[in-house]
Order: sequence, then structure tokens, then C-alpha cells
Amino acid sequence: MAGQAVLYEAVNVSKSYGSVEALIDVNVQLHAGEVLGLVGDNGAGKSTLVKVLSGVHPPDSGKLFLEGRERRWSSPHDALAEGIETLYQDTGLAPHLTIGANVFLGRELLRPGLLGRLGFMAQREMERAALHELAQVGVEVKGSRKTVSDLSGGQRQAVAIGRAVAWARKVLLLDEPTNHLGARQALEVLNVIRAARDRGLGVIFISHTLPHVLQICDRIVVLRLGRVVRDASTSEFDAESLLGTITGLLEKSP
Amino acid sequence: MLLVALGALVAYFAARAPVFLSSQELANILADFCSLILLGVGETFVIASGGIDLSVGSATSFSGVIGAFAMKALLDGHQNEAVVLAVGVAVCAGVGLGIGLVNAALINWARLVPFVATLAMLGAAAGMAIVLSNGEPVGLDPRAISYTTAKLGPFSYPSLVVIAVVAVAWLTLHFTRYGRYTFAIGSNEFAARAAGINVRRHVVSVYALSGVLAGLTGMFVYMRLGSGAPTAGLNDELQAIAAVVIGGASLYGGVARMSGTVLGTLIINTVTSGLIISNIQANWDQVAVALLIGLAATMQALRPGRRR
Ligand SMILES: Nc1ncnc2c1ncn2[C@@H]1O[C@H](COP(=O)(O)OP(=O)(O)O)[C@@H](O)[C@H]1O
Ligand SMILES: [Mg+2]
Repeated sequence: MAGQAVLYEAVNVSKSYGSVEALIDVNVQLHAGEVLGLVGDNGAGKSTLVKVLSGVHPPDSGKLFLEGRERRWSSPHDALAEGIETLYQDTGLAPHLTIGANVFLGRELLRPGLLGRLGFMAQREMERAALHELAQVGVEVKGSRKTVSDLSGGQRQAVAIGRAVAWARKVLLLDEPTNHLGARQALEVLNVIRAARDRGLGVIFISHTLPHVLQICDRIVVLRLGRVVRDASTSEFDAESLLGTITGLLEKSP
Repeated sequence: MLLVALGALVAYFAARAPVFLSSQELANILADFCSLILLGVGETFVIASGGIDLSVGSATSFSGVIGAFAMKALLDGHQNEAVVLAVGVAVCAGVGLGIGLVNAALINWARLVPFVATLAMLGAAAGMAIVLSNGEPVGLDPRAISYTTAKLGPFSYPSLVVIAVVAVAWLTLHFTRYGRYTFAIGSNEFAARAAGINVRRHVVSVYALSGVLAGLTGMFVYMRLGSGAPTAGLNDELQAIAAVVIGGASLYGGVARMSGTVLGTLIINTVTSGLIISNIQANWDQVAVALLIGLAATMQALRPGRRR
């Protein structure tokens, strides 16, 4: 977004897993009130970038700046505390816990008084508030006391998205949020993302569904084999050129 | 379900041998229960978190031996009993804590899987218990037994302490944030970490807890036998794990019930004493426990809706 200060920024970030270079000198800027599309083939490094931004992996080199200040996350806990919320690809929920327990995981409400200081949880309130929080962001589930393993793939994804959106205060990182979703549900998720942007959050949206990316993103970053190969406003892409940039076929054609 | 099984077992053994329901025999079962339940309680936390602790039996023996050495030294120095007992409890719990911390270090930092780390500890602690004691019971103290014969109703004082610990553990596992984190880590360790939980620290605390409870078991057994026997906890890790699994826990983590562990322990105690009372050759009880584990695990695998 022209003229707006950068909210969250990765500068020259590299990250390897052993001999696999998953990210090489990556620069990404995210602004408040912006949806940034992050696209690339499988293995391009999208999920790795998300995990660096969310504090799961420290970068091997390079720096992260939140609101202009350099930050080093020693764990996801640090990034969460700064209002950075993440939906991870496929692995974000604890299947044996209830929906409510998952929504409040790491942020349990405690009972008032001595019991609370001893660590006793306000379970009923959490279950109730969880349904409320999820409904607020457009996710309807019946009965928060169900365990997540009792939900369908789509319902699980909805809970995970709802949790991330409900808690995010600054940055929302969504790694393939429309996976496992039907067409209708996917469109609802796009609406939820728009609403989050309108609340002033900076959103990173990862998807293989290019029409969605073109439809919702203000800007698009294309990763290929760990490098940023294109970073431009959405208006500079159409479906064909975006696909060509992702695969690398575009440059090779005459 | 478990209650029905327990009731059926009690009825069966009572029918075979009426002494089974005598107050003497019930006191025996209670003491057996108290010698095992704390191991099961610790194991419940460990298994809920997706781990396993094979070292609790030998941690019981080892802490009992070290505690007995300490108490013997104090008794020889004519300390009063309360001091001796307090030091005994502290030393046993401390030794158990040390064992738990070493387990956690092997798992967190040496990156051993819990099975291997605690198997190594099983061997090390059992070996040291025998070496240090020369294979003999340590610090025979006839007064120790009298601590466990002073009674409030049918319960000796140490058994009341054990029951109180079980109650606190039940509340902690099912109603506090600590318990919630334990289940979350066992259910999906990545999700727990991604939610901001300090997984390593929690894993340390879970193995430390299991170690401390094994240490307290060492003290309980010392008071029951009147000495620190180097084989006091032999094979008890198997019984403890069996109790937890019979109680409905999943060895994959994320599922466990403290009430299940209590009933599972009682079932094992009942089978073990029932077989002895019915004059069945002693080592059959191990076979019976093995059968119970197999049965419980099979039932769990067949339970509908259980994933992974
Ligand atoms: N935990 C891991 N250990 C080893 N290699 C990994 C790990 N995670 C990802 N990789 C590798 O890093 C590269 C980038 O993966 P990833 O970030 O998941 O890509 P994307 O999300 O774009 O599909 C791939 O080559 C992948 O195999
Ligand atoms: Mg990915």
C-alpha cells in the first residue's frame, strides 16, 4: 500500500534444513491493512517462510523487523505475544482436545481467586467464549465440547482459521487456509480475510488456487526454489502470467 | 466398565477363597495399592504427554536404598524419629527428582526417544541400587514398620498421604492448565509449541514429577518393609504402565484418565493377591498382568472413533 509504513518485514532471510536451502536471501514487506499473496510450487519455501515469520524457526541469517524494530523470536510464544497469529499448513490443532481447548490453547482462562492462581481453568467459560469467538469471525460450529478428531477436515480448518483470526492483533499468517474446504466455505474464508484486512491487520495468504489469490490479494510475492522471483501489485498479473512466473516457464519463452 | 471388571474379579476371588475379603487381606491390598499407585500416577502424566517412563521401578528401588542409607546414618546418630522420617522423605524424593531430570535431559537435549532414555535409566538405577547395597536390604529398622501400622480407620498414615497425592494429581491432570498442556503436547507436540507452550520445560516437569513420585514410592516401600531393598521396585514399571493402559490411556499420547489409572491399579492388585490367595503358583501373576495389558490394548484399538 503506497505511503503506508511497513508493518512486518523480512530482510535477506535464509534458512536451510541440512543441505536443503529452503529460503535464500528472501525479502518480504507486509503492510498494515494489506493482503499479501505468497505463491509458488510445492517446495518453493512458502511454509518455511511462514515458520520463520511466526517464530518456529530462527532464520540462519537475515533479520526480521516488526513496526521498524528488529526482532528475534526464540519461540512462537514471543511472536504470539506481539500479535502475530499463524495458521499452519495441516498441523495446527491438537486432535484429542475439544474445540474450546484448542481455541484457547496457550491462553487458558483461569478461575477467579485462589483456584485460578493454582492453575484451575474456567472450562465452561472457555467453551462458551470459543463458540462466540469463532462465530465472530464467521465460523459456525455446534458444540465446542466436541474433540477436534470428531470434526471433518473442513470443520477443522474452519476452527483453525477462526482461532488465528480471532486472536490476531497485528499480523495474520495463513498457510493454505482454503485446503480441505468446499467451494462455498472457501469463499467464506476469503470474506473472513477481507474483514481481517479491514480491521487493519497485515495478512499473508498462501494458496495454490490462483483465482482466489488474484481476487483477494493487494500484492503478490512469487517464490521459486527458495528465492523471491517476483514481488508486484496484483494488477500487474493475470492468471496466465502468474502461473508462468510460478513455474518459471514465462521467462524462458521468447 | 472397569468398575464392573473390578467387581467381577473381587467376587470371583472371594468365592474361591473367602479369606480374600478378610480385613487382613484388604489391608494387604491397600498397601500393595499404595506401593504402585504413585508410579501409575506419574506414568499417567508421562503417557498423556506422549512419552513413557520405564525407569520408575528401579527409581523406586534406588531411592529407597539411598533413603535407607541416610536414615540409618541419622538413626545411628540418635536423631528423633520425626527428623529421620522427614529426611527420608526428602532424600527419596530428591533422588527420584534427580532421576527424572536426567531422563528429561536425555530426551530433550540428547534427543533420545523416551523409551530408550528411560530404559537406559532403568538399567543404571537398578544396577546402582544393587551395587551400593551389595544386594542386601539396607538399614533394617524395625520401627519403620510401626509407622505403617498406626492407623486411622483402615488407613495407615502413609497410605493417607498417598491417597491425598492421588487426589491432587487427579485435579491437576483434569482441571488445571498444567494438565491441559500435558494432553496438548501428547496430542500434537507441534501444535502445543505453536500455541506458545514451552514444550521442553513441560516435558522436564513431567519426567521430574514421575521421578519424585517414584522416590516417594521408595519411601513408602521402605516404611512397609522396614528397609531399603535393592529390588523393591523390580518390574513395577510394567505394572504401572499396565494400570495406565487398562485405565484407558493411549500409548500414542493425548488420552489418559486418572480415575482409570486408579481402577487399573486396583484391578492389578486384585489379580495379584487373588492369585496368591488362591494358591496359584506365584509367577503366574506376571502372566496375568501381561494378559490384562494385551486385553486393554486390544479393547482400545477396537474402540470406535479412536484415531492413531
Ligand atoms: N522440517 C523439514 N526438514 C527438512 N526439509 C524440509 C523441512 N520442511 C521443509 N523442508 C524442505 O524445504 C523446502 C521448502 O519446503 P516448504 O517450505 O514446505 O515449501 P512449500 O510450503 O512452498 O511447499 C522443500 O524442499 C522441503 O522438502
Ligand atoms: Mg507448504
